[in-house]
Amino acid sequence: MNGTKPTSVALSLIAVLVVFILVAWLGPSLNPDLQLDETALLRFVFVAIGLLIVFAVYWFTRQNAAWTVGTREVVYMAIGAALYAVFSYLFNGTVFVVPSVSQVSLRPAISIPMFFGYAFGPVVGFFTGAVGNMFGDALTGFGLSPQWSVANGLVGMISGMAALYIDKKKAMNSVLYISTGLAAVATLLWIFNRDLSNMMFFDPDAGIFGDATISAFAGLSAVVGFVLVLLVRMFFKDNVDLASAVIWSMLGNFIGIGFAALSDIWINGFSPSVAIVGEFLPAAGPNMIFAAILVPLLVGAYNSVQRQTGR
Amino acid sequence: MLVTWRYRERNSLIQGFDPSAWFIFYFCFVISTLFFWDVRFLAFFAIIALVVVLRSGITFRESRRTWLFIGAFITFFALLTFLTGRGGVEVYVEEHILRTYQAGFEIFGWRPTLNISAERIIFALGQLARVFSLASTTILIPYSINPAHYGVAFRRLGLPDKIAYAMDLTMRFIPTFGRDFQLTMDAQKARGYELEKLQGGLIAQVRKLAPILVPVTIRAISGSEDIIDAMDLRAFGTGPRTWLIQLNYRPRDYALMAFGVAVLFGSLGLSLFGYGQFWVPPALLKLAM
Repeated sequence: MNGTKPTSVALSLIAVLVVFILVAWLGPSLNPDLQLDETALLRFVFVAIGLLIVFAVYWFTRQNAAWTVGTREVVYMAIGAALYAVFSYLFNGTVFVVPSVSQVSLRPAISIPMFFGYAFGPVVGFFTGAVGNMFGDALTGFGLSPQWSVANGLVGMISGMAALYIDKKKAMNSVLYISTGLAAVATLLWIFNRDLSNMMFFDPDAGIFGDATISAFAGLSAVVGFVLVLLVRMFFKDNVDLASAVIWSMLGNFIGIGFAALSDIWINGFSPSVAIVGEFLPAAGPNMIFAAILVPLLVGAYNSVQRQTGR
Repeated sequence: MLVTWRYRERNSLIQGFDPSAWFIFYFCFVISTLFFWDVRFLAFFAIIALVVVLRSGITFRESRRTWLFIGAFITFFALLTFLTGRGGVEVYVEEHILRTYQAGFEIFGWRPTLNISAERIIFALGQLARVFSLASTTILIPYSINPAHYGVAFRRLGLPDKIAYAMDLTMRFIPTFGRDFQLTMDAQKARGYELEKLQGGLIAQVRKLAPILVPVTIRAISGSEDIIDAMDLRAFGTGPRTWLIQLNYRPRDYALMAFGVAVLFGSLGLSLFGYGQFWVPPALLKLAM
Protein backbone atom coordinates (compact mmCIF):
# COMPACT_ATOMS: atom_id res chain seq x y z
CA MET A 1 0.00 0.00 0.00
CA ASN A 2 2.67 2.45 -1.02
CA GLY A 3 1.71 6.09 -0.87
CA THR A 4 -0.99 5.59 1.74
CA LYS A 5 -0.95 6.52 5.42
CA PRO A 6 -1.98 3.28 7.10
CA THR A 7 -1.78 4.57 10.66
CA SER A 8 -4.14 7.45 9.88
CA VAL A 9 -6.55 5.00 8.24
CA ALA A 10 -6.47 2.82 11.37
CA LEU A 11 -6.94 5.85 13.62
CA SER A 12 -9.97 6.93 11.58
CA LEU A 13 -11.50 3.47 11.93
CA ILE A 14 -10.86 3.45 15.67
CA ALA A 15 -12.46 6.91 15.84
CA VAL A 16 -15.59 5.49 14.18
CA LEU A 17 -15.74 2.75 16.79
CA VAL A 18 -15.21 5.25 19.64
CA VAL A 19 -18.06 7.41 18.31
CA PHE A 20 -20.27 4.32 18.18
CA ILE A 21 -19.39 3.33 21.74
CA LEU A 22 -20.24 6.89 22.85
CA VAL A 23 -23.55 6.73 21.00
CA ALA A 24 -24.32 3.34 22.55
CA TRP A 25 -23.35 4.68 25.99
CA LEU A 26 -25.03 8.10 25.86
CA GLY A 27 -27.93 7.15 23.57
CA PRO A 28 -30.11 5.44 26.19
CA SER A 29 -30.01 8.59 28.35
CA LEU A 30 -31.56 10.50 25.40
CA ASN A 31 -33.98 7.79 24.37
CA PRO A 32 -34.61 4.91 26.81
CA ASP A 33 -36.13 2.81 24.00
CA LEU A 34 -33.08 3.16 21.79
CA GLN A 35 -32.50 0.06 19.67
CA LEU A 36 -29.23 0.48 17.81
CA ASP A 37 -30.10 -2.30 15.37
CA GLU A 38 -32.96 -0.11 14.11
CA THR A 39 -30.73 2.86 13.32
CA ALA A 40 -28.64 1.40 10.46
CA LEU A 41 -25.64 2.67 12.42
CA LEU A 42 -24.44 -0.84 13.20
CA ARG A 43 -23.80 -1.53 9.52
CA PHE A 44 -21.10 1.11 9.49
CA VAL A 45 -19.65 -0.10 12.77
CA PHE A 46 -19.11 -3.48 11.15
CA VAL A 47 -17.54 -1.79 8.14
CA ALA A 48 -15.01 -0.26 10.54
CA ILE A 49 -14.45 -3.62 12.29
CA GLY A 50 -13.96 -5.38 8.92
CA LEU A 51 -11.50 -2.73 7.75
CA LEU A 52 -9.63 -2.99 11.05
CA ILE A 53 -9.26 -6.75 10.45
CA VAL A 54 -7.84 -5.97 7.00
CA PHE A 55 -5.53 -3.38 8.51
CA ALA A 56 -4.31 -5.77 11.23
CA VAL A 57 -3.46 -8.45 8.65
CA TYR A 58 -1.62 -5.86 6.58
CA TRP A 59 0.22 -4.41 9.59
CA PHE A 60 1.60 -7.73 10.79
CA THR A 61 2.76 -8.76 7.31
CA ARG A 62 3.56 -5.34 5.87
CA GLN A 63 7.16 -6.25 4.95
CA ASN A 64 5.88 -8.78 2.44
CA ALA A 65 6.05 -7.81 -1.24
CA ALA A 66 2.51 -9.09 -1.76
CA TRP A 67 1.20 -5.77 -0.42
CA THR A 68 3.04 -3.68 -3.01
CA VAL A 69 0.72 -1.79 -5.33
CA GLY A 70 2.22 -0.92 -8.72
CA THR A 71 0.72 -0.01 -12.07
CA ARG A 72 -0.21 -3.61 -12.82
CA GLU A 73 -2.08 -4.00 -9.54
CA VAL A 74 -3.99 -0.73 -10.02
CA VAL A 75 -5.23 -1.88 -13.43
CA TYR A 76 -6.12 -5.36 -12.16
CA MET A 77 -7.98 -3.85 -9.21
CA ALA A 78 -10.10 -1.88 -11.64
CA ILE A 79 -10.64 -4.81 -14.01
CA GLY A 80 -11.56 -7.14 -11.15
CA ALA A 81 -14.00 -4.70 -9.55
CA ALA A 82 -15.65 -3.85 -12.89
CA LEU A 83 -16.00 -7.54 -13.84
CA TYR A 84 -17.42 -8.41 -10.43
CA ALA A 85 -19.91 -5.54 -10.69
CA VAL A 86 -21.02 -6.52 -14.20
CA PHE A 87 -21.34 -10.23 -13.39
CA SER A 88 -23.17 -9.48 -10.12
CA TYR A 89 -25.60 -7.26 -12.02
CA LEU A 90 -26.18 -9.84 -14.73
CA PHE A 91 -26.35 -13.01 -12.63
CA ASN A 92 -28.04 -11.88 -9.41
CA GLY A 93 -31.47 -12.69 -10.71
CA THR A 94 -32.10 -9.38 -12.41
CA VAL A 95 -31.07 -10.02 -16.01
CA PHE A 96 -30.32 -13.76 -16.23
CA VAL A 97 -31.92 -15.90 -13.58
CA VAL A 98 -29.37 -18.56 -12.78
CA PRO A 99 -31.44 -21.48 -11.49
CA SER A 100 -31.33 -22.50 -7.85
CA VAL A 101 -31.05 -26.11 -6.78
CA SER A 102 -32.68 -27.31 -3.60
CA GLN A 103 -32.65 -23.90 -1.92
CA VAL A 104 -29.10 -23.20 -3.06
CA SER A 105 -28.96 -20.02 -5.11
CA LEU A 106 -26.05 -19.67 -7.47
CA ARG A 107 -23.77 -16.62 -7.47
CA PRO A 108 -21.08 -17.45 -10.03
CA ALA A 109 -19.67 -13.91 -9.82
CA ILE A 110 -18.02 -14.72 -6.46
CA SER A 111 -15.31 -16.60 -8.37
CA ILE A 112 -14.03 -13.21 -9.64
CA PRO A 113 -12.72 -11.80 -6.30
CA MET A 114 -11.42 -15.28 -5.44
CA PHE A 115 -9.47 -15.55 -8.69
CA PHE A 116 -8.23 -11.94 -8.73
CA GLY A 117 -7.14 -12.22 -5.10
CA TYR A 118 -5.23 -15.41 -5.71
CA ALA A 119 -3.68 -14.35 -9.04
CA PHE A 120 -2.78 -10.73 -8.23
CA GLY A 121 -2.49 -10.48 -4.46
CA PRO A 122 -4.51 -9.51 -1.40
CA VAL A 123 -4.88 -5.80 -2.22
CA VAL A 124 -6.30 -6.56 -5.67
CA GLY A 125 -8.55 -9.22 -4.13
CA PHE A 126 -9.89 -6.91 -1.45
CA PHE A 127 -10.55 -4.06 -3.88
CA THR A 128 -12.20 -6.41 -6.39
CA GLY A 129 -14.57 -7.84 -3.77
CA ALA A 130 -15.41 -4.67 -1.88
CA VAL A 131 -15.65 -2.12 -4.70
CA GLY A 132 -17.13 -4.63 -7.16
CA ASN A 133 -19.90 -5.52 -4.73
CA MET A 134 -20.60 -1.84 -4.07
CA PHE A 135 -20.87 -1.02 -7.79
CA GLY A 136 -22.88 -4.20 -8.43
CA ASP A 137 -25.41 -3.19 -5.77
CA ALA A 138 -25.54 0.32 -7.22
CA LEU A 139 -26.19 -1.01 -10.73
CA THR A 140 -29.08 -3.17 -9.58
CA GLY A 141 -30.58 -0.52 -7.32
CA PHE A 142 -30.33 -2.78 -4.27
CA GLY A 143 -29.16 0.14 -2.13
CA LEU A 144 -26.28 -0.17 0.28
CA SER A 145 -25.06 -3.12 2.34
CA PRO A 146 -21.62 -1.84 3.31
CA GLN A 147 -20.82 -4.71 5.68
CA TRP A 148 -21.45 -7.18 2.84
CA SER A 149 -19.10 -5.18 0.60
CA VAL A 150 -16.35 -5.49 3.22
CA ALA A 151 -17.19 -9.20 3.54
CA ASN A 152 -16.75 -9.66 -0.21
CA GLY A 153 -13.48 -7.76 0.09
CA LEU A 154 -12.35 -10.21 2.77
CA VAL A 155 -13.15 -13.12 0.42
CA GLY A 156 -10.79 -11.63 -2.19
CA MET A 157 -8.11 -10.57 0.29
CA ILE A 158 -7.87 -13.94 2.03
CA SER A 159 -7.79 -15.73 -1.34
CA GLY A 160 -4.75 -13.58 -2.09
CA MET A 161 -2.97 -14.29 1.18
CA ALA A 162 -1.39 -17.35 -0.42
CA ALA A 163 1.15 -14.87 -1.78
CA LEU A 164 2.32 -14.10 1.76
CA TYR A 165 3.80 -17.58 2.15
CA ILE A 166 6.98 -18.92 0.56
CA ASP A 167 6.13 -22.59 1.11
CA LYS A 168 2.80 -22.71 -0.70
CA LYS A 169 2.23 -26.40 -0.12
CA LYS A 170 2.67 -26.19 3.65
CA ALA A 171 0.46 -23.10 3.88
CA MET A 172 -2.16 -24.76 1.70
CA ASN A 173 -2.32 -27.83 3.94
CA SER A 174 -2.65 -25.66 7.07
CA VAL A 175 -5.50 -23.76 5.41
CA LEU A 176 -7.14 -27.05 4.51
CA TYR A 177 -7.11 -28.15 8.18
CA ILE A 178 -8.59 -24.83 9.33
CA SER A 179 -11.30 -25.02 6.67
CA THR A 180 -12.11 -28.60 7.66
CA GLY A 181 -12.78 -27.39 11.18
CA LEU A 182 -14.93 -24.47 10.01
CA ALA A 183 -16.99 -26.65 7.62
CA ALA A 184 -17.48 -29.24 10.36
CA VAL A 185 -18.62 -26.70 12.98
CA ALA A 186 -21.09 -25.06 10.59
CA THR A 187 -22.52 -28.40 9.47
CA LEU A 188 -22.81 -29.67 13.04
CA LEU A 189 -24.76 -26.53 13.90
CA TRP A 190 -27.14 -27.33 11.05
CA ILE A 191 -27.57 -30.93 12.25
CA PHE A 192 -28.65 -29.62 15.66
CA ASN A 193 -30.86 -26.85 14.16
CA ARG A 194 -32.49 -28.47 11.15
CA ASP A 195 -35.79 -26.65 11.58
CA LEU A 196 -34.31 -23.17 11.02
CA SER A 197 -35.20 -21.10 7.94
CA ASN A 198 -32.96 -20.54 4.96
CA MET A 199 -32.61 -16.74 5.09
CA MET A 200 -30.89 -16.61 1.69
CA PHE A 201 -33.59 -18.45 -0.23
CA PHE A 202 -36.29 -16.50 -2.04
CA ASP A 203 -38.90 -18.00 -4.33
CA PRO A 204 -41.42 -15.23 -5.06
CA ASP A 205 -43.58 -17.50 -7.25
CA ALA A 206 -44.19 -19.73 -4.24
CA GLY A 207 -44.49 -16.80 -1.83
CA ILE A 208 -41.27 -17.75 -0.02
CA PHE A 209 -39.15 -14.88 1.28
CA GLY A 210 -36.34 -16.41 3.28
CA ASP A 211 -38.75 -18.28 5.54
CA ALA A 212 -38.58 -21.83 4.17
CA THR A 213 -37.03 -24.48 6.41
CA ILE A 214 -33.49 -25.16 5.28
CA SER A 215 -33.23 -28.15 2.93
CA ALA A 216 -30.79 -31.01 3.50
CA PHE A 217 -28.76 -30.03 0.44
CA ALA A 218 -28.45 -26.40 1.56
CA GLY A 219 -27.52 -27.55 5.06
CA LEU A 220 -24.86 -29.87 3.70
CA SER A 221 -23.65 -27.47 1.01
CA ALA A 222 -20.50 -26.59 2.97
CA VAL A 223 -19.62 -30.30 3.14
CA VAL A 224 -20.45 -30.78 -0.56
CA GLY A 225 -18.28 -27.77 -1.44
CA PHE A 226 -15.52 -28.96 0.86
CA VAL A 227 -15.51 -32.44 -0.73
CA LEU A 228 -15.28 -30.85 -4.19
CA VAL A 229 -12.36 -28.70 -3.06
CA LEU A 230 -10.70 -31.79 -1.59
CA LEU A 231 -11.18 -33.64 -4.90
CA VAL A 232 -9.52 -30.74 -6.75
CA ARG A 233 -6.64 -30.90 -4.23
CA MET A 234 -6.22 -34.63 -4.83
CA PHE A 235 -6.73 -34.53 -8.58
CA PHE A 236 -4.23 -31.70 -9.03
CA LYS A 237 -1.79 -32.83 -6.35
CA ASP A 238 1.20 -31.94 -8.55
CA ASN A 239 -0.22 -28.56 -9.56
CA VAL A 240 0.26 -26.65 -6.32
CA ASP A 241 -0.72 -23.36 -7.96
CA LEU A 242 -4.17 -24.58 -8.93
CA ALA A 243 -4.89 -26.51 -5.73
CA SER A 244 -3.67 -23.59 -3.64
CA ALA A 245 -6.01 -21.18 -5.48
CA VAL A 246 -9.03 -23.33 -4.68
CA ILE A 247 -8.12 -23.95 -1.04
CA TRP A 248 -7.33 -20.31 -0.22
CA SER A 249 -10.55 -19.29 -1.98
CA MET A 250 -12.40 -21.67 0.30
CA LEU A 251 -10.90 -20.09 3.42
CA GLY A 252 -11.62 -16.59 2.06
CA ASN A 253 -15.21 -17.59 1.46
CA PHE A 254 -15.60 -19.06 4.97
CA ILE A 255 -14.14 -16.02 6.71
CA GLY A 256 -15.66 -13.33 4.46
CA ILE A 257 -19.20 -14.69 4.40
CA GLY A 258 -18.83 -15.72 8.05
CA PHE A 259 -18.00 -12.13 8.95
CA ALA A 260 -21.13 -10.82 7.19
CA ALA A 261 -23.36 -13.53 8.69
CA LEU A 262 -22.03 -13.01 12.22
CA SER A 263 -22.45 -9.23 11.90
CA ASP A 264 -26.18 -9.88 11.38
CA ILE A 265 -26.36 -11.21 14.94
CA TRP A 266 -26.13 -7.55 16.00
CA ILE A 267 -27.44 -5.77 12.87
CA ASN A 268 -30.59 -7.86 12.34
CA GLY A 269 -30.85 -9.39 15.80
CA PHE A 270 -30.36 -12.97 14.56
CA SER A 271 -29.40 -15.69 17.02
CA PRO A 272 -25.94 -17.21 16.37
CA SER A 273 -27.51 -20.44 15.09
CA VAL A 274 -29.78 -18.52 12.67
CA ALA A 275 -26.80 -16.50 11.45
CA ILE A 276 -24.68 -19.61 10.83
CA VAL A 277 -27.32 -22.10 9.70
CA GLY A 278 -29.82 -19.78 8.02
CA GLU A 279 -27.44 -17.30 6.44
CA PHE A 280 -23.83 -18.51 6.40
CA LEU A 281 -24.35 -22.07 5.15
CA PRO A 282 -26.69 -21.32 2.21
CA ALA A 283 -24.39 -18.51 1.04
CA ALA A 284 -20.93 -19.95 1.74
CA GLY A 285 -21.71 -23.54 0.67
CA PRO A 286 -22.62 -22.81 -2.97
CA ASN A 287 -19.75 -20.31 -3.20
CA MET A 288 -17.37 -23.20 -2.49
CA ILE A 289 -18.80 -25.08 -5.44
CA PHE A 290 -17.81 -22.11 -7.60
CA ALA A 291 -14.40 -22.03 -5.91
CA ALA A 292 -13.94 -25.69 -6.80
CA ILE A 293 -15.10 -25.47 -10.42
CA LEU A 294 -14.73 -21.96 -11.83
CA VAL A 295 -11.58 -20.79 -10.01
CA PRO A 296 -9.43 -23.66 -11.40
CA LEU A 297 -10.74 -22.93 -14.90
CA LEU A 298 -9.84 -19.25 -14.52
CA VAL A 299 -6.39 -20.04 -13.08
CA GLY A 300 -5.73 -22.54 -15.87
CA ALA A 301 -6.79 -20.08 -18.58
CA TYR A 302 -4.75 -17.28 -16.99
CA ASN A 303 -1.64 -19.48 -16.78
CA SER A 304 -1.99 -20.22 -20.51
CA VAL A 305 -2.21 -16.50 -21.28
CA GLN A 306 0.85 -15.87 -19.12
CA ARG A 307 2.81 -18.54 -20.97
CA GLN A 308 1.75 -17.06 -24.32
CA THR A 309 2.59 -13.45 -23.50
CA GLY A 310 5.56 -14.12 -21.25
CA ARG A 311 4.26 -11.65 -18.62
CA MET B 1 -11.69 -0.47 -27.11
CA LEU B 2 -13.33 1.37 -24.24
CA VAL B 3 -17.06 1.92 -24.34
CA THR B 4 -18.20 5.04 -22.53
CA TRP B 5 -21.22 5.96 -20.45
CA ARG B 6 -23.77 8.24 -22.11
CA TYR B 7 -22.34 11.39 -20.62
CA ARG B 8 -22.65 14.80 -22.23
CA GLU B 9 -22.82 18.41 -21.08
CA ARG B 10 -26.43 19.15 -20.11
CA ASN B 11 -26.39 22.23 -17.91
CA SER B 12 -28.15 20.13 -15.28
CA LEU B 13 -28.45 20.40 -11.51
CA ILE B 14 -25.76 17.76 -10.89
CA GLN B 15 -23.40 19.32 -13.40
CA GLY B 16 -23.79 22.65 -11.64
CA PHE B 17 -21.77 21.25 -8.74
CA ASP B 18 -18.23 20.01 -8.28
CA PRO B 19 -18.21 16.17 -8.77
CA SER B 20 -16.58 15.46 -5.40
CA ALA B 21 -19.13 17.74 -3.66
CA TRP B 22 -21.87 15.79 -5.44
CA PHE B 23 -20.35 12.44 -4.37
CA ILE B 24 -20.29 13.61 -0.73
CA PHE B 25 -23.92 14.69 -0.97
CA TYR B 26 -24.83 11.41 -2.69
CA PHE B 27 -23.20 9.23 0.00
CA CYS B 28 -24.88 11.25 2.79
CA PHE B 29 -28.22 10.99 0.96
CA VAL B 30 -28.00 7.22 0.41
CA ILE B 31 -26.92 6.48 3.99
CA SER B 32 -29.63 8.77 5.41
CA THR B 33 -32.34 7.00 3.40
CA LEU B 34 -31.45 3.73 5.14
CA PHE B 35 -32.34 5.14 8.57
CA PHE B 36 -36.08 5.34 7.90
CA TRP B 37 -39.16 3.25 7.19
CA ASP B 38 -41.65 6.04 7.95
CA VAL B 39 -43.21 6.97 4.61
CA ARG B 40 -43.37 10.67 5.62
CA PHE B 41 -39.59 10.77 6.08
CA LEU B 42 -39.02 8.71 2.95
CA ALA B 43 -41.21 11.13 0.99
CA PHE B 44 -38.67 13.87 1.82
CA PHE B 45 -35.90 11.83 0.18
CA ALA B 46 -38.12 10.83 -2.76
CA ILE B 47 -38.93 14.51 -3.41
CA ILE B 48 -35.24 15.43 -3.42
CA ALA B 49 -34.57 12.53 -5.81
CA LEU B 50 -37.46 13.61 -8.04
CA VAL B 51 -36.16 17.20 -8.21
CA VAL B 52 -32.71 15.90 -9.15
CA VAL B 53 -34.21 13.64 -11.83
CA LEU B 54 -36.38 16.41 -13.31
CA ARG B 55 -33.44 18.82 -13.33
CA SER B 56 -30.99 16.25 -14.73
CA GLY B 57 -31.45 17.34 -18.33
CA ILE B 58 -31.57 13.69 -19.39
CA THR B 59 -34.31 12.97 -21.87
CA PHE B 60 -36.47 9.88 -21.45
CA ARG B 61 -35.44 8.84 -24.94
CA GLU B 62 -31.75 8.53 -24.08
CA SER B 63 -32.31 6.81 -20.72
CA ARG B 64 -35.38 4.80 -21.66
CA ARG B 65 -33.87 1.33 -21.17
CA THR B 66 -32.42 2.22 -17.79
CA TRP B 67 -35.68 3.71 -16.53
CA LEU B 68 -37.69 0.76 -17.80
CA PHE B 69 -35.38 -1.63 -15.98
CA ILE B 70 -35.40 0.37 -12.74
CA GLY B 71 -39.15 0.99 -13.02
CA ALA B 72 -39.88 -2.70 -13.53
CA PHE B 73 -37.55 -3.61 -10.67
CA ILE B 74 -39.10 -1.15 -8.20
CA THR B 75 -42.69 -1.97 -9.19
CA PHE B 76 -42.12 -5.72 -9.14
CA PHE B 77 -40.69 -5.74 -5.61
CA ALA B 78 -43.20 -3.27 -4.19
CA LEU B 79 -46.12 -5.16 -5.75
CA LEU B 80 -44.77 -8.50 -4.61
CA THR B 81 -44.42 -7.27 -1.05
CA PHE B 82 -47.90 -5.81 -1.18
CA LEU B 83 -49.51 -8.97 -2.51
CA THR B 84 -47.71 -11.43 -0.26
CA GLY B 85 -47.12 -9.26 2.80
CA ARG B 86 -43.84 -11.10 3.43
CA GLY B 87 -41.31 -8.30 2.92
CA GLY B 88 -42.48 -6.08 5.75
CA VAL B 89 -42.54 -8.63 8.53
CA GLU B 90 -39.29 -7.22 9.91
CA VAL B 91 -40.80 -3.78 10.52
CA TYR B 92 -44.37 -4.57 11.62
CA VAL B 93 -45.89 -7.46 13.55
CA GLU B 94 -49.62 -6.70 13.44
CA GLU B 95 -51.80 -6.20 10.36
CA HIS B 96 -55.09 -4.28 10.17
CA ILE B 97 -57.09 -5.84 7.37
CA LEU B 98 -59.01 -3.37 5.18
CA ARG B 99 -60.36 -5.70 2.52
CA THR B 100 -60.20 -9.40 1.79
CA TYR B 101 -60.65 -10.76 -1.70
CA GLN B 102 -61.17 -14.46 -2.28
CA ALA B 103 -60.96 -16.19 -5.62
CA GLY B 104 -64.10 -17.98 -6.76
CA PHE B 105 -62.20 -21.25 -7.31
CA GLU B 106 -60.03 -23.63 -5.37
CA ILE B 107 -56.72 -25.27 -6.26
CA PHE B 108 -56.32 -28.63 -4.48
CA GLY B 109 -58.50 -27.34 -1.63
CA TRP B 110 -56.65 -24.02 -1.37
CA ARG B 111 -58.62 -20.86 -2.17
CA PRO B 112 -56.34 -17.97 -3.25
CA THR B 113 -56.97 -15.04 -0.89
CA LEU B 114 -55.66 -11.50 -0.99
CA ASN B 115 -55.64 -9.61 2.31
CA ILE B 116 -55.20 -5.87 1.88
CA SER B 117 -53.99 -4.39 5.14
CA ALA B 118 -53.11 -0.83 6.14
CA GLU B 119 -49.56 -1.96 6.92
CA ARG B 120 -49.06 -3.59 3.52
CA ILE B 121 -50.20 -0.47 1.64
CA ILE B 122 -47.97 1.87 3.60
CA PHE B 123 -45.00 -0.47 3.55
CA ALA B 124 -45.29 -0.84 -0.24
CA LEU B 125 -45.42 2.95 -0.60
CA GLY B 126 -42.40 3.31 1.68
CA GLN B 127 -40.51 0.72 -0.30
CA LEU B 128 -41.37 2.49 -3.55
CA ALA B 129 -40.13 5.81 -2.17
CA ARG B 130 -36.98 4.29 -0.71
CA VAL B 131 -35.88 2.29 -3.76
CA PHE B 132 -36.80 5.13 -6.13
CA SER B 133 -34.64 7.54 -4.09
CA LEU B 134 -31.66 5.19 -4.06
CA ALA B 135 -31.90 3.95 -7.64
CA SER B 136 -32.68 7.21 -9.40
CA THR B 137 -29.88 9.22 -7.78
CA THR B 138 -27.45 6.39 -8.58
CA ILE B 139 -28.29 5.95 -12.26
CA LEU B 140 -27.95 9.67 -12.93
CA ILE B 141 -24.25 9.65 -12.02
CA PRO B 142 -22.84 8.07 -15.22
CA TYR B 143 -25.07 10.32 -17.36
CA SER B 144 -24.10 13.48 -15.52
CA ILE B 145 -20.51 13.31 -14.28
CA ASN B 146 -17.72 13.71 -16.77
CA PRO B 147 -15.70 10.44 -16.87
CA ALA B 148 -12.54 12.56 -16.96
CA HIS B 149 -13.47 13.89 -13.51
CA TYR B 150 -13.94 10.56 -11.71
CA GLY B 151 -10.32 10.14 -10.65
CA VAL B 152 -9.71 13.68 -9.52
CA ALA B 153 -13.05 13.71 -7.69
CA PHE B 154 -12.19 10.54 -5.74
CA ARG B 155 -8.74 12.01 -5.00
CA ARG B 156 -10.39 15.09 -3.54
CA LEU B 157 -12.48 12.83 -1.33
CA GLY B 158 -9.20 11.84 0.34
CA LEU B 159 -8.46 8.54 -1.39
CA PRO B 160 -4.79 7.85 -2.21
CA ASP B 161 -3.78 8.51 -5.82
CA LYS B 162 -3.63 4.85 -6.80
CA ILE B 163 -6.95 3.95 -5.24
CA ALA B 164 -8.58 7.05 -6.78
CA TYR B 165 -7.25 6.07 -10.18
CA ALA B 166 -8.39 2.46 -9.69
CA MET B 167 -11.90 3.74 -8.87
CA ASP B 168 -11.76 5.92 -11.98
CA LEU B 169 -10.76 2.95 -14.15
CA THR B 170 -13.44 0.74 -12.55
CA MET B 171 -16.19 3.16 -13.56
CA ARG B 172 -14.75 3.39 -17.07
CA PHE B 173 -14.44 -0.39 -17.48
CA ILE B 174 -17.99 -1.30 -16.43
CA PRO B 175 -19.71 -0.39 -19.74
CA THR B 176 -16.85 -1.95 -21.71
CA PHE B 177 -17.16 -5.28 -19.93
CA GLY B 178 -20.93 -5.12 -20.24
CA ARG B 179 -20.44 -4.88 -24.00
CA ASP B 180 -17.83 -7.69 -23.95
CA PHE B 181 -20.27 -9.90 -22.05
CA GLN B 182 -22.95 -9.32 -24.67
CA LEU B 183 -20.51 -10.03 -27.54
CA THR B 184 -19.33 -13.24 -25.88
CA MET B 185 -22.88 -14.25 -25.17
CA ASP B 186 -23.87 -13.68 -28.82
CA ALA B 187 -20.84 -15.62 -30.04
CA GLN B 188 -21.62 -18.56 -27.75
CA LYS B 189 -25.30 -18.49 -28.72
CA ALA B 190 -24.25 -18.75 -32.36
CA ARG B 191 -22.55 -22.01 -31.30
CA GLY B 192 -25.77 -23.26 -29.65
CA TYR B 193 -25.11 -22.19 -26.07
CA GLU B 194 -28.22 -21.13 -24.08
CA LEU B 195 -27.61 -19.49 -20.73
CA GLU B 196 -31.32 -19.19 -20.06
CA LYS B 197 -31.79 -22.95 -20.36
CA LEU B 198 -29.07 -24.39 -18.15
CA GLN B 199 -29.80 -28.04 -17.52
CA GLY B 200 -28.29 -30.89 -15.57
CA GLY B 201 -27.21 -31.19 -11.96
CA LEU B 202 -25.69 -28.43 -9.88
CA ILE B 203 -22.10 -29.14 -10.92
CA ALA B 204 -23.07 -29.44 -14.59
CA GLN B 205 -24.89 -26.09 -14.38
CA VAL B 206 -21.89 -24.40 -12.80
CA ARG B 207 -19.55 -25.82 -15.44
CA LYS B 208 -21.84 -24.51 -18.16
CA LEU B 209 -21.33 -20.96 -16.91
CA ALA B 210 -17.64 -21.19 -17.76
CA PRO B 211 -18.03 -20.47 -21.53
CA ILE B 212 -19.27 -16.99 -20.55
CA LEU B 213 -17.28 -16.21 -17.44
CA VAL B 214 -13.83 -17.39 -18.49
CA PRO B 215 -13.56 -15.71 -21.94
CA VAL B 216 -14.82 -12.34 -20.67
CA THR B 217 -12.39 -12.41 -17.73
CA ILE B 218 -9.34 -13.57 -19.67
CA ARG B 219 -10.06 -11.14 -22.50
CA ALA B 220 -10.19 -8.31 -19.96
CA ILE B 221 -6.88 -9.34 -18.41
CA SER B 222 -5.03 -9.86 -21.67
CA GLY B 223 -6.39 -6.59 -23.02
CA SER B 224 -5.07 -4.72 -20.00
CA GLU B 225 -1.43 -4.99 -21.07
CA ASP B 226 -1.78 -1.98 -23.37
CA ILE B 227 -3.23 0.09 -20.53
CA ILE B 228 -0.46 -1.01 -18.15
CA ASP B 229 2.22 -0.16 -20.73
CA ALA B 230 0.66 3.24 -21.42
CA MET B 231 0.55 4.03 -17.70
CA ASP B 232 4.12 2.81 -17.12
CA LEU B 233 5.38 4.92 -20.04
CA ARG B 234 3.85 7.95 -18.34
CA ALA B 235 5.65 6.99 -15.10
CA PHE B 236 2.47 6.18 -13.23
CA GLY B 237 3.03 5.73 -9.52
CA THR B 238 6.67 6.82 -9.42
CA GLY B 239 5.83 9.95 -7.46
CA PRO B 240 2.92 12.07 -6.24
CA ARG B 241 0.40 12.29 -9.04
CA THR B 242 -0.70 15.51 -10.62
CA TRP B 243 -4.08 15.73 -12.30
CA LEU B 244 -4.68 17.48 -15.60
CA ILE B 245 -7.97 18.87 -14.39
CA GLN B 246 -8.17 21.10 -11.33
CA LEU B 247 -11.48 21.17 -9.53
CA ASN B 248 -12.26 24.05 -7.19
CA TYR B 249 -15.07 24.27 -4.69
CA ARG B 250 -17.39 27.24 -5.10
CA PRO B 251 -19.80 28.52 -2.44
CA ARG B 252 -22.61 26.40 -3.90
CA ASP B 253 -20.43 23.27 -3.52
CA TYR B 254 -19.82 24.04 0.15
CA ALA B 255 -23.57 24.61 0.56
CA LEU B 256 -24.38 21.24 -1.05
CA MET B 257 -21.87 19.39 1.13
CA ALA B 258 -23.15 21.16 4.25
CA PHE B 259 -26.72 20.21 3.30
CA GLY B 260 -25.73 16.57 2.76
CA VAL B 261 -23.87 16.36 6.09
CA ALA B 262 -26.78 18.11 7.88
CA VAL B 263 -29.24 15.59 6.40
CA LEU B 264 -27.00 12.72 7.49
CA PHE B 265 -26.53 13.91 11.08
CA GLY B 266 -30.18 14.99 11.27
CA SER B 267 -31.26 11.52 10.15
CA LEU B 268 -28.93 9.87 12.64
CA GLY B 269 -30.20 12.09 15.44
CA LEU B 270 -33.86 11.50 14.58
CA SER B 271 -33.22 7.79 14.35
CA LEU B 272 -31.55 7.75 17.78
CA PHE B 273 -34.56 9.53 19.27
CA GLY B 274 -36.82 6.86 17.84
CA TYR B 275 -38.27 8.87 14.92
CA GLY B 276 -38.65 7.43 11.45
CA GLN B 277 -39.75 3.90 12.41
CA PHE B 278 -42.57 2.31 10.43
CA TRP B 279 -45.73 4.43 10.68
CA VAL B 280 -49.30 3.94 9.47
CA PRO B 281 -51.76 6.88 9.27
CA PRO B 282 -54.31 6.50 12.12
CA ALA B 283 -57.11 7.34 9.65
CA LEU B 284 -56.21 4.25 7.65
CA LEU B 285 -56.21 2.09 10.77
CA LYS B 286 -59.74 3.26 11.58
CA LEU B 287 -60.92 1.83 8.27
CA ALA B 288 -59.82 -1.63 9.37
CA MET B 289 -62.51 -4.31 9.48
